[in-house]
Amino acid sequence: MAVQSDVMEAAGPYDRAKALSAFKLGDLTFYWITRVSAISVLLILGGIILSLIVGAWPAMKEYGFAFLWTQRWAPSADPPVLGALGPIYGTLITSIIAMLIAIPVGIGIAVFLTELCPQVLRRPIGIAIELLAGIPSIIYGMWGFFVLGPFLANTFQPFMIRIFEGVPVLGAVFAGPPSYLSLFNAALILAIMVLPFITAISVDVFKTVPPVLKEAAYGMGCTTWEVVRSVVIPYTRVGVIGGVMLALGRALGETMAVTFIIGNSFRISSSIFAPGTTISAAIASEFAESDGLHQSGLILLGLLLFVLTFFVLAGARLMLMRLEKKAGK
Amino acid sequence: MTELSVSTTAAGHVPQVPLPEAPPKVTVRNLNFYYGEHHALKNINLTLGTNRVTAFIGPSGCGKSTLLRIFNRMYDLYPGQRATGQLMLDQTNILDPKLDLNLLRARVGMVFQKPTPFPMTIYENIAFGIRLYEKISKSEMDDRVEKALRGGALWNEVKDKLNASGLSLSGGQQQRLCIARTVAVRPEVILFDEPCSALDPISTAKVEELIQELSEDYTIAIVTHNMQQAARVSDKTAFMYLGELIEFDDTNKIFTSPSDRRTQDYITGRFG
Repeated sequence: MAVQSDVMEAAGPYDRAKALSAFKLGDLTFYWITRVSAISVLLILGGIILSLIVGAWPAMKEYGFAFLWTQRWAPSADPPVLGALGPIYGTLITSIIAMLIAIPVGIGIAVFLTELCPQVLRRPIGIAIELLAGIPSIIYGMWGFFVLGPFLANTFQPFMIRIFEGVPVLGAVFAGPPSYLSLFNAALILAIMVLPFITAISVDVFKTVPPVLKEAAYGMGCTTWEVVRSVVIPYTRVGVIGGVMLALGRALGETMAVTFIIGNSFRISSSIFAPGTTISAAIASEFAESDGLHQSGLILLGLLLFVLTFFVLAGARLMLMRLEKKAGK
Repeated sequence: MTELSVSTTAAGHVPQVPLPEAPPKVTVRNLNFYYGEHHALKNINLTLGTNRVTAFIGPSGCGKSTLLRIFNRMYDLYPGQRATGQLMLDQTNILDPKLDLNLLRARVGMVFQKPTPFPMTIYENIAFGIRLYEKISKSEMDDRVEKALRGGALWNEVKDKLNASGLSLSGGQQQRLCIARTVAVRPEVILFDEPCSALDPISTAKVEELIQELSEDYTIAIVTHNMQQAARVSDKTAFMYLGELIEFDDTNKIFTSPSDRRTQDYITGRFG
């Protein structure tokens, strides 16, 4: 104790005011650094929107709103005829099918991992899911092109086509011929790609359910299924939907894998086994060799994807608010 | 179940004359319990009398909550926990591995330390449990929900907001909702695991009063850290220490003239 105070004196009296003013400068600098970082997000977002609008302006002026419901895409015609209906349709359909597959499977895996899985299997499966998220999308594209596409075209597609032949509506949805490149293949790849998002986030939020709440439900005599359906999922609804939204956002914008296996056809077909295209696949496959109005049309497609994603996410948020109101929160 | 009316018995009553011995509802014989290697309960023998309140007291970690969680096989949720011995609910062997746990838990309800309303409306919190076992019409369900909420002494406070979330209630109300929910399933035994430790004194008094009323129709086991509470609500008291049942007798006797030195020390606050 005595030694310590000697040292303090030798170093001269401690000037608290001076130290504080030095801190003040540090605080101010820190404040501005964080503030500029935060504002730069807004600037970058605004800049992207602005440059998209500027780039898309010639196409907007030329085609107007008819761009949205024109199916024909003929960039080499004179003058070029461009319509976004095919890509919009393909984007929505592949994302919807992908989510229809990925949501139940993803949440199912999460339920298994948190509620049912024996301890020894928990880590291997968890790690496998994380690895799935780490695979670059180009690998999914190649695998879809060389393995999954031929496999589906030889097995699953003919099977479905045969089953639903002659059935109204469904017959048209599962119409032939089988194809290596199709909307369905792209949707399946998308489902595999977004699965880890849904599972990882669901596992995390399922773990936040207080054990005593689950015990209370089991204590009423609930089965595991009833506990999951009535307690775990409602309790974690917001988090799960957040994960689903993240996955949907990725599915809507995913480019590389889809470009490989969707077939890049602008024609809309009722069959999900027919080739199609998505907004991002259309841009990726044509942008490099485009110019003039064609390029402007592709930029307009990009702007549409932006708007589409925004509306889907806003709609999801609205749905969440409704759900919360219904649960009486 | 008969309709319960509020304030038939005052909280704080100690049965001066011990009630006559009730027929046993739950019989525990040579019960041992293990958390993995840890021997948590050693050779427990006792009975819960039908329509009696049995209190379990003892210092933290003495195994009283563990014992309670065996009565409805809650420990089954966790790997590595096992019980040996005999545990009978009437003629049913609770420890039978082939026993249908869902049906057991319908007969043995549980109220936890913290209120655990489910993430749904007040009405649904009650109806949920009933629906697990019965298919009844909407109007019958309304009746049952009202009856259960009256049974939980909560009806007057929530009758105008049955569609509000169960989570919007105060802590004491949530706990009574949980009791109502347990009662709604019409169990035979209700287990209370420190039901008042998260509640304020007024809510505690209400819950204690409720427990007394419920004992007219149900066999009740309550774990508590509050010795006054045990004295107030129970007919029989079990004192546990380090996984052993030290003394099990009429509440009156335990709190006035315990026969074991350790019980004496615990209830007079010398340790624990």
